[in-house]
Amino acid sequence: MKLTRLQLDQLKQFRQPLEIRDLTDGINLFVGPNESGKSTLVRAIRAAFFERYKSSSVDDLQPWGDTSATPEIELEFDWQGEHWALNKRFLGKKRCDLKVGSQHFSGEEAEEKLAEMLGYQFPGRGASKAEHWGIPGLLWVEQGAVQDIQGPVNHAGEHLQSALGQSLGEVASSGGDELIARVEKERAELLTGTGKETKEYKKVQEDYRHSQERLDALNQSVEQYRQQVDQLGVLIEQKQTIDAARPWEEQRRKADTAKSQLSEVQRWQSEQRQDQQALDACRQSQAVYRQQLKDFENQQHQLTQRAEDKAKAEAQLQECRDRRPQLERRRADAEQAYERARNLREQARHQAERGRLQQQIDQLAERQSQQADTLKQATELHQTLKGLQAQQPSKDIDPTALGQLKRTEQALAELAIRQKALATRLNYELEPEKSITVGDKTVTGQGETLLVEATELRIPGVGRLHIQPGGTDVADLQRQQQALQSEQNSLLRRLDVASLEEGEQRAAESQRLAQAIERDQARLDILAPKGVDALRSAAEQDGARLEALRAQLEQLPEVQADVTSEENAEADLDAARAELKRAEDALNQHQQQHGLAEQASANAHAEWNKLNAELQAPDRKAREEGANKELTDLKAREHQLTTAIEARQRQIDEAQPEVLEQDIERFTASAQAMETQARERAQSIRDLQVRLEEQGAQGLEEKRDEEAQINQRLAQRRDELTRRAQALDLLLSLLKDKRQALTRQLQAPLQKHLNHYLKLLFPQAHLSVDENLMPTTLTRPQGTGEERGDLSSLSYGAREQMGLISRLAYADLLREAGKPTLIILDDALVHSDAQRLDQMKRILFDAARRHQVLLFSCHPENWRDLGATPRDLQGLKLG
Amino acid sequence: MPRFFHTADWQIGRQYSRFAEEDASILADARFTAIERLAALATEQAVDAVLVAGDVFDAQTVSDRTIHRTFQAMAGFTGPWLLLPGNHDAALAESVWTRAQRLGAVPEHVDLLLAPEVRVYEHLGFAVIPAPLTQRQTYDDLTEWFDRAETPKGLVRIGLAHGSVEGQLAEEIDSTNPIAADRAATARLDYLALGDWHGYKTIDARTRYSGTPEQERFKDNGAGQALVVDIEQPGAEPQVQPHSIGQFQWIKHQDTLVVASDIERLIAELDALPPRSVVDLTLDGEVDLAGYQTLLQYLGGAEARHRSFQSHLSGLNLIPTEDDIAALHADGYVGEVIGELRERQEGQGEGSDTARAALAILAGMLRDTRLVSESEPTETAQ
Repeated sequence: MKLTRLQLDQLKQFRQPLEIRDLTDGINLFVGPNESGKSTLVRAIRAAFFERYKSSSVDDLQPWGDTSATPEIELEFDWQGEHWALNKRFLGKKRCDLKVGSQHFSGEEAEEKLAEMLGYQFPGRGASKAEHWGIPGLLWVEQGAVQDIQGPVNHAGEHLQSALGQSLGEVASSGGDELIARVEKERAELLTGTGKETKEYKKVQEDYRHSQERLDALNQSVEQYRQQVDQLGVLIEQKQTIDAARPWEEQRRKADTAKSQLSEVQRWQSEQRQDQQALDACRQSQAVYRQQLKDFENQQHQLTQRAEDKAKAEAQLQECRDRRPQLERRRADAEQAYERARNLREQARHQAERGRLQQQIDQLAERQSQQADTLKQATELHQTLKGLQAQQPSKDIDPTALGQLKRTEQALAELAIRQKALATRLNYELEPEKSITVGDKTVTGQGETLLVEATELRIPGVGRLHIQPGGTDVADLQRQQQALQSEQNSLLRRLDVASLEEGEQRAAESQRLAQAIERDQARLDILAPKGVDALRSAAEQDGARLEALRAQLEQLPEVQADVTSEENAEADLDAARAELKRAEDALNQHQQQHGLAEQASANAHAEWNKLNAELQAPDRKAREEGANKELTDLKAREHQLTTAIEARQRQIDEAQPEVLEQDIERFTASAQAMETQARERAQSIRDLQVRLEEQGAQGLEEKRDEEAQINQRLAQRRDELTRRAQALDLLLSLLKDKRQALTRQLQAPLQKHLNHYLKLLFPQAHLSVDENLMPTTLTRPQGTGEERGDLSSLSYGAREQMGLISRLAYADLLREAGKPTLIILDDALVHSDAQRLDQMKRILFDAARRHQVLLFSCHPENWRDLGATPRDLQGLKLG
Repeated sequence: MPRFFHTADWQIGRQYSRFAEEDASILADARFTAIERLAALATEQAVDAVLVAGDVFDAQTVSDRTIHRTFQAMAGFTGPWLLLPGNHDAALAESVWTRAQRLGAVPEHVDLLLAPEVRVYEHLGFAVIPAPLTQRQTYDDLTEWFDRAETPKGLVRIGLAHGSVEGQLAEEIDSTNPIAADRAATARLDYLALGDWHGYKTIDARTRYSGTPEQERFKDNGAGQALVVDIEQPGAEPQVQPHSIGQFQWIKHQDTLVVASDIERLIAELDALPPRSVVDLTLDGEVDLAGYQTLLQYLGGAEARHRSFQSHLSGLNLIPTEDDIAALHADGYVGEVIGELRERQEGQGEGSDTARAALAILAGMLRDTRLVSESEPTETAQ
């Protein structure tokens, strides 16, 4: 397709007609500053094709403010060897005419023919939008939209597919996509996207599972029922064959037989026990008689022994009696010695007592004389102290006041000295007899007086002189003096002394007196710490005690002078006492021995007598013979019993009473077990019959068969749905696979064209294309590996370049499919740097060898080396 | 001169899981109707008794209602009815018979032969020696005692048993419950009435299986009848007359389709089947889409004409011809998909079944689409 001429009238800024003719193959470059009309030109071409001539939504085409204008566009182009001329007027005088060679089309027919040729569509109503633009939307790029490739490719998709499909030899299916949608919908009725059952299919599966569960349960019940019927049959059979014969009665009879046998044996056992007792008694009696005989034999030996015992006891008794006088003597001696020692000890004790009393009396007398002295001294000292203390008040003086008085007098003396130094010294040498009066004092002769105050000097016959001593201090000193004197007098009165000397004397005396009192008091405290009276009463007490001790001494008896000491006497007494005790003990012991000996002697005598009497008894012989006879009888009896017991024991052992007992137990238990079993069997039969009657009434097998029917039908339905689901799944995947394979067939040529341009920009790079023929990922060599990036992640400039390359590749593809290609670029590649722009220019130049390109730019300097003569729009407007 | 009915294998209570619910219940009901028909025919034929050789009931635990219905259905003939327990309704300790007795469902004129004891019907001129099953199955010949069984002189001796005559029936019959082939001779029987085999079968002049009175299997073996037996006198050869009782015929039809004209042939054959039958059709071979459509259409009509019509087409391959594909406008990759499915349906197994189904679905969809798109232009033109 080659656009050859273009004319606008009353369109936007072109109020006057603008004609562009002689458009060439390849690149046609239009330059001009902003608002020079480039975009208006582009808009005009788009409107000529895309907008319905009847449309009322295109008033933007009218020049500003001119609502009566009829925007008009005339286009001429060559396509497939024919000349096409389009004239389209909007709004005011709406019209559309298309001449193709000699054919003429008008109105909507003309518009549809254009749309079919270029591959776009018209909107139902209103202005044409991007989604209607189809293939031109991809090749006619508006300002700043080169990089946006996705939208235009989507909008062009259908047109592309059908346009390109034809070139692939009719492999595309006319209704394929619709079919896929339908299969998908049908499949969605049965399966989810991930292939799980859904809707009715799912429900049938669930129903089948539930039915199967019910069926299993019913089958189990039927099986159970059958087993119970069988069990019932077995039980009834057993009841008839076993229980009807009452086998337990036989067992009971056997038990009874064993019982009677056992009771016989028990009787034997009882007899055996009686005989055994008799045997035991017989043996005991024998022992008694044997002992008796043995006793008789022993008695003779005993008599001899007892006679010996008797003699020995008497001898001991005699010996005892012989020792007695000796022992009694010893005791008498000890008694005497003890009495002596006791007397001696008494005297020694008195002597010692006297000595002690005398000592106390001496000590007390000594102390008493000392106390008398002390008391005397203390009494005197006490008197002296009293006298001193009586003097003390008159000599007492306040030492503080005295000190103050002393300081006052010193101050007065200093004041007098200062007065004397300041006073007016008046020396006089009077004529004899003559006198003058100084102040109140009459002065004669020679002398000197000090005037310390204003003084009147009267000189008889002369008159009076007033002398005023100089300086101010004189008066002040005088006032101080008066104050001190007043204080002095006051202190003297207070201290009650005439002068300081007297005061100090009194103070000295007072101190002396106090010292004397202190000293005497200290001495008195030593002599009588608790006071004189206490001292006196202590002395009196001692006196009384002395009297008492002396009286005590008087009462003690006189003793001989050679008495031993108290300790020795005491030791002697102890020794004597010990000896006495030993002697007494010996005597007592002897007395006991004597008693025992007498007793023993008496006993031995009695024993002998008794035994002797027995031996001499008249019936003794008869008794011995009787015993011998009894013993013989008893031995015979024993033999008889032993034989009987042995015989009976054999009988008992042979009867085996333990086994008999076990038999009884066994037969009884067997009988019971049999009866119990029979009873239980009867009960089981009744139970089973009742249970089976109940279950039978439920019609289990009929129910089971009904459920089996339901189950079978559900299984059929499930299988049908499974088959359908699988079939739809297979169909869908096959359709999709085939469709994808087809798409891949379309992708390949596009890929080829893309790579053709791409290698001019990025050598060895690769731009992949998805099944919707959308460029997706750019892969470039990077170091040793490669760098991959989605188109959307590239920089604006690179996206712009990729966008243009993609569009050019589509154009190539369309051209190969025999479709018209016209490329319009409005201010493209403004974001590309100089280097990339150079590459892009090579690409554009290359594309322009196959396609007509209209390129609009406000940067003519960028495109000088494009190999095209730029047309200045402003120039065109003017021209 | 006794004249009696010989029937067996009523199988009351049988359920038919392979059929649609409605058909199944009608077929189950037909078994009761068969008893009523038997009763009516017995009265009409003026028989002395009806001998039922086992398997009156299909199961021990049928519902109380089924038991009542069964005995009530016998009301049309006042008896006696001699019912023998078979392997399905053996006289166990607890059985459908004890239940029926407990329910009071057994009428006066019905005799239950629950024990192996001779029954004498003096006034009717015959004695019956029964061999009831008292176990579900046994490997002993229960008719052995027939040889020793004493019956009054002058009465016709009739044996009644349920089981397999040894060496006479196909292997598919279980070898349980055996019956000696020469029992009629060894036991000096005038007639041995047998049950268990659902078809009509003559073992010898005195030994027969009557078959079930209402067919319930796809087997063409004379089922659906009952036998009227006349015996002139003891020792005389019995005269046996089969009478049709059953309502529904069960027909199994199998065919292989190879060429297009096979469809027409098949349709003609199916048209010839008696109406209101129970039909089971299995097809294999291959068919083109047009033929397949014709077939489906025909089968839809056939289903309405019969009691039950079940068809199994999974063995039938769909082979779309070039014309088919052109007619469906299956161009581009859809055409390729058809080709692929066509290849995949060859052979056996799930994969080929799935491919076959997928092809059918695809063809259906394409046909719908074509019908829609053909009608569309007229709409837009208006």
